[in-house]
Amino acid sequence: MALVEIRDIFKSYWLHGKRIDVLSGVSLDIERGELVSLVGASGTGKSTFLHVLGTLDAPVAGSLRFDGRSVFDLSDAEVARFRNRSIGFVFQSHFLLPEFTALENVAMPALVQRVERTEALLQARTLLERVGLGARLEHRPGELSGGEAQRVALARALVLRPALLLADEPTGNLDPATGEGIHQLLREVNRDLGITMVVVTHNEALARSMPRRLRLQAEKVLPA
Amino acid sequence: MMDRPMDAAATLALQGVARPKWLLRTLGVLLAAGGLGMLLLAVHAAGAADSLLSALVLLAPGWGSLAQAVSALAKATHPGPPLVLALPWRWLLAGGLAWGVGWVLLAFSVQGAKALDETPSAAAKAPLYPALAAWRDFSPGTFAAYAVAILGAEVVLVLLQTWLASGARGLGVAPSSAFVLSLLAATLVAFAGGALGASRARRLASPEATIAVLYLGTPLPLLLTLLPAFPRLTLWVGYRLREVTYLAELLGRPEFAYWLTFTVLVLALALGILSGFVAGGSGTLDLRAGFELFVATRHVQVFRPRLLLGALLVLLLGIVPPLLVLAVLRAADAAVERTRIRALGLKDPMLAAAAHRAWVEKAQSATAMMTALSVGGVGVGVMALVIVLSVMSGFEGDLQSKILGTNAHVVVLKYSDNGAMPEYAEVVKKVQGLRGVVGVTPFIFGQVMIASEGNVDGTIIKGIDPATVGQVTDLPKNVLPGGSIEWLDTPAKIPARRPLHADAASDDDVVHTKGGGEEPVLPGILLGRELAASLRVLVGDRVTAISPLGGGMSPSGPIPRSRTFRVAGIFYTGMYEYDSKFAYLSLSEAASFLDVKGATGVEMKVADVDDARRIAGTVLQALDGYPYRTKDWGEMNRNLFSALRLEKLVMGIILTIIVIVAAGLIVATVTMLVLEKRKEISVLKALGVPDSGVVKIFLAEGLQIGVAGGLLGLLSGLAWCLFIEKVGLRLDPQVYYIHNLPVKVEPLQTALVVVIAVLVSYLASVFPALRASRVEPVEGLKAE
Repeated sequence: MALVEIRDIFKSYWLHGKRIDVLSGVSLDIERGELVSLVGASGTGKSTFLHVLGTLDAPVAGSLRFDGRSVFDLSDAEVARFRNRSIGFVFQSHFLLPEFTALENVAMPALVQRVERTEALLQARTLLERVGLGARLEHRPGELSGGEAQRVALARALVLRPALLLADEPTGNLDPATGEGIHQLLREVNRDLGITMVVVTHNEALARSMPRRLRLQAEKVLPA
Repeated sequence: MMDRPMDAAATLALQGVARPKWLLRTLGVLLAAGGLGMLLLAVHAAGAADSLLSALVLLAPGWGSLAQAVSALAKATHPGPPLVLALPWRWLLAGGLAWGVGWVLLAFSVQGAKALDETPSAAAKAPLYPALAAWRDFSPGTFAAYAVAILGAEVVLVLLQTWLASGARGLGVAPSSAFVLSLLAATLVAFAGGALGASRARRLASPEATIAVLYLGTPLPLLLTLLPAFPRLTLWVGYRLREVTYLAELLGRPEFAYWLTFTVLVLALALGILSGFVAGGSGTLDLRAGFELFVATRHVQVFRPRLLLGALLVLLLGIVPPLLVLAVLRAADAAVERTRIRALGLKDPMLAAAAHRAWVEKAQSATAMMTALSVGGVGVGVMALVIVLSVMSGFEGDLQSKILGTNAHVVVLKYSDNGAMPEYAEVVKKVQGLRGVVGVTPFIFGQVMIASEGNVDGTIIKGIDPATVGQVTDLPKNVLPGGSIEWLDTPAKIPARRPLHADAASDDDVVHTKGGGEEPVLPGILLGRELAASLRVLVGDRVTAISPLGGGMSPSGPIPRSRTFRVAGIFYTGMYEYDSKFAYLSLSEAASFLDVKGATGVEMKVADVDDARRIAGTVLQALDGYPYRTKDWGEMNRNLFSALRLEKLVMGIILTIIVIVAAGLIVATVTMLVLEKRKEISVLKALGVPDSGVVKIFLAEGLQIGVAGGLLGLLSGLAWCLFIEKVGLRLDPQVYYIHNLPVKVEPLQTALVVVIAVLVSYLASVFPALRASRVEPVEGLKAE
């Protein structure tokens, strides 16, 4: 059984009363431990697809099975818990909480899961050390460089060991060298922790380096 | 990409759909309002406008106003002989018709969903998103829960109050304590019902709540309000509700009490609904608030020493002085800092740039200032409430202690020819052993003129038994040094005073110790301080009392009787009214002077002042009723105390408006926080924070503001009370009865003020918190 089974997902927007179809009957399976890249022209709905996949956005119709469970049938609270435990997000911007230190930011998903504060901070510290930020624990996001902040964001996405990591152009705001460091980290995470990963990217080289490549075109997701 | 700028065509298209609906709505509202106006006019024509209007103010439209109109009409028609003809039927009919049609139009404007006219899309066969499929418009179960909550709370309140307070078959608890207990139970019922209904429906379900409150909650308070208007209704249920109505009538305006209590219950229901929604609205009951508090505390940062100290100073010293000091300090700081930066820059420009940067970053954000303002606002409200209520309590307490120091708690009188009670000794004996009765003494009551060499005044004269009066009133304690209450019985001991011109500059002003023995022995009299001052007499001086009756008849009418007394003492109660109007004689002197056989009645002191009414009842039972009757102190001073209570209540409500304004500040602050943190809310949702968690975060922010403001207000209010108590504010005793502004901090009342402030803050943050929970995660997560 595949980790994620997507069936007949439809998603449309209404702009000035006119319908804009983004996804029309997308069906897809993602196997456990896969490293998938998703490419497509700007505005084709890659981010929307990722958001629907991550239960952040509701589709018009369709079904999403995760580990055999129908996610859309869950209540709001159950969806939130599912998102907390099973899915990690990395966005183009780091989206760290500005009032909290790097350590607290990474610990936040664990705190949301009601893990003990000291325990959560300990987990966060190990993870931050692992992504090479052991010296930046008490810094606020404003005091971190772009690459460092993105590493913190990655650590935050991984702190609860989610089954699926969704990355939306994680290196889009970074220079190529720093970006390459993040790519390396992503590959390591997939290899060492066995975390399934869907990476939306404009970076052709990165996309080509992924074992499975998808392309969003004409409201459908096709193999690239 | 997903921005929604409305271009002109789209706006027009939307309006095209909406226009007839709005037309209907406006028309409906106008008609209904006009109809109501005509109904009111009809009521006015029937002459019942005043009673209607006073109650209408308290009621929202709905069938409340209709029932009220009917009641007013009934009131108007009842006493007048030409029953039906006086009614302005035409106005009534037209008004009713317009009112009904207005509502029908409004109902039509609600209907009218657009018909589906689109061709099936590609998604037509796919399963609908389950959350949408579960949408429902009305939940009967939730409605039932709300209905039980509000109606049940009212019934519980009435039944419990009756059971607890009634002496015969109940527990005989003092009415006010019984009310506190029953209100507590009733609010619990309302809260629980609301919480249950909301957590069941997983939404606030405001239509259900509105219907339940308006149509099931209002009838009982309406019934109570209308009781006096319908004699038949009073006969039917009035005596069953007597414990409830008695307590409300203590306030002078009973309907005020009913609707206020009703409002409290509705508030409890609303709180229950919100709490139910927040705690369990999304499927699971989760009262934990670990990370929510963590996030909220970082967001508002209320408990910073600087903010708290600043707010406290503003509350204690007023706005201007601390701000002036702050401005001076700021300016000095800035001057020092600029000098430092320039000095650094002369050495190394980079150092100056770094220092300048650090200085700029210290500036506070707008939300931080709003937070401080909200804390201050809540603080001001709480402080004002604490001070004013404490002063009013002090006033009431002072007045009560003075009134009860001079008057008995319960008085036994007798229906007889001239109000005399010759067998008073037996009555005293019968009453003495009763439970709750602490002291008993007979008395005689009359009004006379009193004259000295210098002046004349009208007084109330009271004959007392000097031996036992101390058991009942504070009179013996109130006699100023130099005089004695015992001298009423032994007038020979009163030091007589020579006329002023004989030996003017003697040693003492009040008591002339070198009393001459040549004066005749006169019976003694006690005078109030103000009375003695206006008669210009001191202890030992002579006064003449003149009773208009009792001197027998002459051809020209009754002859006044006069008798001369010697001032045996001067008393001071602190109550101007008493000190200027009362004079005391011994019982036997008063009996012979006023020509009363025995005594006018018997007065007694009871153990629990609040229980005087019940004890008066048992006393009357022990005396086998007629021809005796009893009066308790509350009855005797009812006007004064109900006016005081009403005044206090109205002051409380008016001052609560300050707290409500502060709540408006909280709404603005938390809304600003929500807008400022949209991105963070989205991120938190992406991290798996449920909607209820987001609500909790922002509720906690409002609550923190409320708690901080409430505590600061409490602190500064208590400080002010202490100041007033220690330093004192002088009052004109002729206006206020008393010399100093009294303060009495009642713990329960003060705690209630803080609790109300915190609850109001909580309620104020509900709306922005719900808005925060509705932030779509994708909105905030768009790439910057």
